[in-house]
Amino acid sequence: MTAASVQATAEDGSMHIALSGEIDLANVDAVEEEIRAATSHQPNAVSVDLTELTYVDSAGIRMLFSLASRLRALRIVLELIVPLDSPTRRLIELSGFESLAALRPARH
Amino acid sequence: MSGLVDFRLRGIESVTDTALAHLDVEDLLVELLDRVRELLQVDTATVLLLDSSSQQLVATADRGIDAAVRQGFRIPVGKGFAGRVAAEKQPVIIEAVDHTNVLNTIFRDRGVCSLLGVPLLSRGTVIGVLHVGTLVPRRFTDEDVRLLQIVADRVGFATESRRAEVERAAAVVLQRSLLPARLPVVPGLELAARYVPAENGGVSGDWYDVFALPSGWLCIVIGDVVGRGLGAAEVMGRLRSALRAYALLGGDPAEVLGRVDQQVQHFDPETMATVLLAMFEPSLERLHLSSAGHPPPVLALPNHPPTLLDVPSDHPVGVPRGLRRRATTITVPPGGLLCFYTDGLVERRGTSLDAGLARLCELVVAGPVESVCAEVMAQLVGADPPDDDVAMLAVRRQDSGEIGPLDLVVPALPWSLRDIRVAVRRWLSAVGAAPRSIADLLVAVGEACTNAVEHAYGPSGGTVKVHMELQLPDVIATVADTGRWRPPRGEDRGRGTLFMRNCSDDLRIDHGPTGTTVVIRRRLAEQAPR
Repeated sequence: MTAASVQATAEDGSMHIALSGEIDLANVDAVEEEIRAATSHQPNAVSVDLTELTYVDSAGIRMLFSLASRLRALRIVLELIVPLDSPTRRLIELSGFESLAALRPARH
Repeated sequence: MSGLVDFRLRGIESVTDTALAHLDVEDLLVELLDRVRELLQVDTATVLLLDSSSQQLVATADRGIDAAVRQGFRIPVGKGFAGRVAAEKQPVIIEAVDHTNVLNTIFRDRGVCSLLGVPLLSRGTVIGVLHVGTLVPRRFTDEDVRLLQIVADRVGFATESRRAEVERAAAVVLQRSLLPARLPVVPGLELAARYVPAENGGVSGDWYDVFALPSGWLCIVIGDVVGRGLGAAEVMGRLRSALRAYALLGGDPAEVLGRVDQQVQHFDPETMATVLLAMFEPSLERLHLSSAGHPPPVLALPNHPPTLLDVPSDHPVGVPRGLRRRATTITVPPGGLLCFYTDGLVERRGTSLDAGLARLCELVVAGPVESVCAEVMAQLVGADPPDDDVAMLAVRRQDSGEIGPLDLVVPALPWSLRDIRVAVRRWLSAVGAAPRSIADLLVAVGEACTNAVEHAYGPSGGTVKVHMELQLPDVIATVADTGRWRPPRGEDRGRGTLFMRNCSDDLRIDHGPTGTTVVIRRRLAEQAPR
């Protein structure tokens, strides 16, 4: 079974969500559920950190897109932290995610 | 001795002699107890056998009042009537049973008045108790005691020989069942193993194990439990399970052995074992090892003389010593061979251990594993009956050129996707694919499989086949299902095909009447797709 972990930490009204492990069709719903729970109190901003994520597939990217549109509707700022050399960077770029949220190579 | 008693005593002998071969211990005892009741004119007859681990006497057969066995009666040595017989190792007579001298309430409730008990001995040690009782007061005579002791000797001998035989057979079966019936097939590795039990005295607890973890790491275990027979085989079974379970929790081999050690010290404090745990990274490039007092493996590299690996030897498992265990990491280049073994392979009476190890080093070569095993066993074990168990395991990292295609057939279910990635990643590292190519192919193959999982089949399910082969300078990956790709449902779909196309140099998707086949071509070397 594919394993991922979701670590959420709140700081000054914003939410930092660090994903690690792998995300595919098998665990994408569980990961989405955890991210929803972590953002349910409507923070001002959300950053999703993919630094430690070693694999993501189109199901995972689809989940990130749906997160982005939900947050946009709620006027919550979203940024994605994806280092330039990270294994997931390529797919994030290919998917055109930048049109929905800012991509940063590291946590500022 | 009266003629009648003599005749009946012969009846007991005939039971022990002829029936011994056919009856199991319990049935044999029941048969003997019936004869004893007749011989001594008593109402009850009971055999309790000593469970040496708990030092308790366990009711194993009874006649007259058939309740002790059914109720699982057991009593510690030294306690109650039977316990006293075992502790004193001599006959005990109780003429009037009461709560001070008999703890078994079954006897008191059923009105047993008098008891005579004798120890069952095997080579001078107590293995149980045989006792008889009467429902009317009886004064047992010296002749009664003598007769019962004769029967007890018979019972003791019969039980012990039968039990030893059963235990020996059980130990062999258990040990065999715990060794892997087939070594796992690992792309990039060649594996072979040998195990020969000691000639006399039955098995001792040598074992080896090879298993993959969900993370793609491959664990190799070789170990040796101190002791022999069924007990050692059982401990080995527990160690094997503990190692597998703790390895699943993650950590380096020193941490895993540390957890096993904790378990052994707590739950099996009498146990000691030497264990070597080696863990291959998924790429097979590097091997992490930790040794709990186990002899070091031999490493043979192409065009190099074989050497004993310099693995620091920590204390054996089960030895209470609060020292940290150490792990070592080595690089195993393609073509390199490792030989793991237990001391039975290198220890011979009359020669030093160093001489045995030197001899082993001469014999191990970086060649095909089966022939290395055959040669080592032929030269070091030969036709001599081994005094100790011998176990050996040879592992060779294949050259990229030797690696054949990868073929997987998995259920078209989401949880197969991770298994596919583990296998594909391992195969690609083994054939020497560049990191970038591995990442791209994992995505392309992954998306093709995801499509098959999501769209090919209805509720009844089906399988996905993955085939990967080299057509230098390219890798060809074929993902096939036998369903029909249903149109993607829901919004925001179709990204998978975009990823497949961008992660391959060439992509063909063939939707045929008998299923869909995706063929992905990607260069093996590091460079972005054309």
